[in-house]
Amino acid sequence: MFVQIKNLTFHYKNSQKPLFENLSLNFKQGEVSVILGESGSGKSTLLRLIAGLEVPSRGSILIDQAVMNDNFRFVQPEKRGVGLVFQDYALFPHMTVEKNIKFGLTKMNRKQKQARMEELLAIVGMEDYASRYPYELSGGQQQRVALARAMAPNPSLIMFDEPFSNLDSKLQLQIRDELQEILKRTGITSIFVTHDEEDARSIGDRIILMNNGKIQDEGLPEMVLQKNKEKLSLAYV
Amino acid sequence: MYLIRKMRSQFNSWALLSVIFSVLILLPALLIMVQLFAESNENWEHIKEYMLKNYVVNSVTLVSFTGLFTVLIGVSAAWLVSAYKVPMHRFFKWGLILPLAIPPYIGAYTYHGILNYTGVIQTTLRNQFGIKVDQKFFDIMNIPGAVFIFTMFLYPYVYIITRSFLENQSSSLIENARLLGKGSFMTFIQVVLPVSRAAIVGGVSLVILEVFNDYGVVKYFGIQTFSTAIFQAWFGMGDIYSAIKLAGTLMFIVVLILILEKVIRGRKQYSYSTSKVRPLQPKELKGWKKFAVLSFFISLFALAFAIPFIQLLQWVYMTYDVILSAAFADLIWNSVFVAAIGSVLIIIVALIIANFSRLSKGWIGKVFSKITVLGYSIPGAVIAIGVLTLFLSLDEKVITLYEWFGLEPTLVLSLSISMLIFAYVVRFLAVGFNSIESGFDKVGTVFTEASRTLGMSVTKTFFKVDIKMIKGAIAGGFILVFVDILKELPLTLILQPFNFYTLATKTFQYASDERIHEAAVSSMVIICISALSIFFLHRVLEKEPK
Ligand SMILES: Nc1ncnc2c1ncn2[C@@H]1O[C@H](COP(=O)(O)OP(=O)(O)OP(=O)(O)O)[C@@H](O)[C@H]1O
Ligand SMILES: [Mg+2]
Repeated sequence: MFVQIKNLTFHYKNSQKPLFENLSLNFKQGEVSVILGESGSGKSTLLRLIAGLEVPSRGSILIDQAVMNDNFRFVQPEKRGVGLVFQDYALFPHMTVEKNIKFGLTKMNRKQKQARMEELLAIVGMEDYASRYPYELSGGQQQRVALARAMAPNPSLIMFDEPFSNLDSKLQLQIRDELQEILKRTGITSIFVTHDEEDARSIGDRIILMNNGKIQDEGLPEMVLQKNKEKLSLAYV
Repeated sequence: MYLIRKMRSQFNSWALLSVIFSVLILLPALLIMVQLFAESNENWEHIKEYMLKNYVVNSVTLVSFTGLFTVLIGVSAAWLVSAYKVPMHRFFKWGLILPLAIPPYIGAYTYHGILNYTGVIQTTLRNQFGIKVDQKFFDIMNIPGAVFIFTMFLYPYVYIITRSFLENQSSSLIENARLLGKGSFMTFIQVVLPVSRAAIVGGVSLVILEVFNDYGVVKYFGIQTFSTAIFQAWFGMGDIYSAIKLAGTLMFIVVLILILEKVIRGRKQYSYSTSKVRPLQPKELKGWKKFAVLSFFISLFALAFAIPFIQLLQWVYMTYDVILSAAFADLIWNSVFVAAIGSVLIIIVALIIANFSRLSKGWIGKVFSKITVLGYSIPGAVIAIGVLTLFLSLDEKVITLYEWFGLEPTLVLSLSISMLIFAYVVRFLAVGFNSIESGFDKVGTVFTEASRTLGMSVTKTFFKVDIKMIKGAIAGGFILVFVDILKELPLTLILQPFNFYTLATKTFQYASDERIHEAAVSSMVIICISALSIFFLHRVLEKEPK
């Protein structure tokens, strides 16, 4: 198991009731897992916990056998080697595409940085945009830059928080296929958050159905979606 | 266990620095509070017995009437500007803020100069018209006069906050009231006043703090208040002990008022939210109403800015060749030097505490941001006494250390420039902090988080991302603090080193020596720098929402 979450308990400061209580969940190496759930069910929070942006009150998280946090330890986000593509991309507005992508390449020299940056721009098909600023890009282009930036430092795990929510439906399809292609090609372990069933079906190797901070079901996409058809359709009416 | 891990996750050096700075900031106030309960001496007994009541009555009278009049003027100006269009609308919208550029003590001696026996009004009446008027009708060196001065130069606080509230937040309410057939006046009374209560209270509490802080006006007008009493105790009698007691009592009163403010304001927060709220559309005015509103604007602008400004210009013209000399260059250098160092330090401390407080979420962060704001509520003279006490006791330690090594004991720390600058930091940290905090609020934490998942530590993120994203807020905060230090009077008067003057203290010295014409040049420098900063900030503020 690549990511192991054991008995995780977490609550936000200003809420009484814990969002997660004794949550346990695993992710396999090289797999694309999709967390599907309605708004407010805790999908983003789970990603933030794995990335180290929130501190759980109990339980442990292991990534690649290494303890990220348990009752004694807490590894800072910058030391976890986890890439996260934010819901609204969070591209640094004061940096060009090139600078954004090079940002996480701290351990490389100038030449290596340049090479890696060009490599990633090629992967996401944005070679001609290196000197643009984020506000000079369309939503889909920003999304691709965000992906390139997260992948540049070669994270062992990459997570996406509803990366398509800001795109129109035609672009959504196109980018989704591209993303799937890239993920398959690089073989990187990835976790993908969405509330769109179609996204989940087409991109996931496995689906985790989440509701109110609890895992309702998990397994192969078709099976999970079939089994929970009624619940899902109810939830999205 | 959870707590320990939690602490560890919270970037220790930032926490440590924030704690150290906050303790330093709190120390002067704490020292005063502790001393307030120490046993009393004879002097203090005397003051308590015979004078204290007078100080309280005078201070409270000044504060109440100034509060009342600034609300009346500030709120009506804000309402008229946001609801109606008159000729030169844009000019008045910004012009009515300008009086803020004139510190009340400068306004005070300027008006005295205009109105006294040799002033422009009396001489004109005598020489052109042969009319002799008893000077007592033109005497403003009394409590009503001081209230007039404070009102004229402080009402912009109420005006700015109320106006921006009315323009940004309340358009639908007001338009609804109009649609429901309410007349303008009824709309104002029944809708505008109640909904903008929190904004008004916010503005007027700034005014009140300024009045408590003032030393220049009351000293010049010969009115006995807490500030003058603190000066008297320290400079007149060399009695730091009574000064501390007075400072403590004043601080106590100010705290009471702040609590009162919270209660009155209730849970409603006024905000400068720049979201998509539709701005209120001003309505064109016609006939006598237009004339009335226009005359109100013109007289307010004339009394609070144009008249004193023109008078100062004339005095500048009379005296500039005498005043502009090497000594004056020194004065400017001193002022700019302390203001620049003070502002830089404040911005650094504010950045550190603000960054820690926003990243640590939760209550810890809130506590820190409350502490930094404290200094601004405490009058300058009180902070000066607190800082003085702190440095004197530090010096005692240093002196014993010196004696220990067989060296000549001297006062090293007290009355040095570093003490003055430290006091500025305590007093004005809030100004820089508020600006930086609102900058951070606007950008949120998502960029910081993105940077951290890309492998940057909190500190690297701070330099590579956070600071760059709030450049505007940093510049704005720097300018505000710089101007505040430049204008500062009571604290500087108490703590300036021997033979060290700033523009503000020299101005005040000239004025106190009845050489008001000579004070004009330095006053003009202060006013122009303040006006420029106001202009700059409002340009920035106006541009930002779009
Ligand atoms: N910073 C916060 N402070 C307090 N509560 C929060 C915070 N962020 C989220 N929550 C609460 O935690 C719960 C889960 O939020 P989360 O953002 O993880 O949901 P989500 O599944 O990502 O929803 P969405 O699909 O809308 O993005 C919600 O009830 C939300 O209100
Ligand atoms: Mg979410």
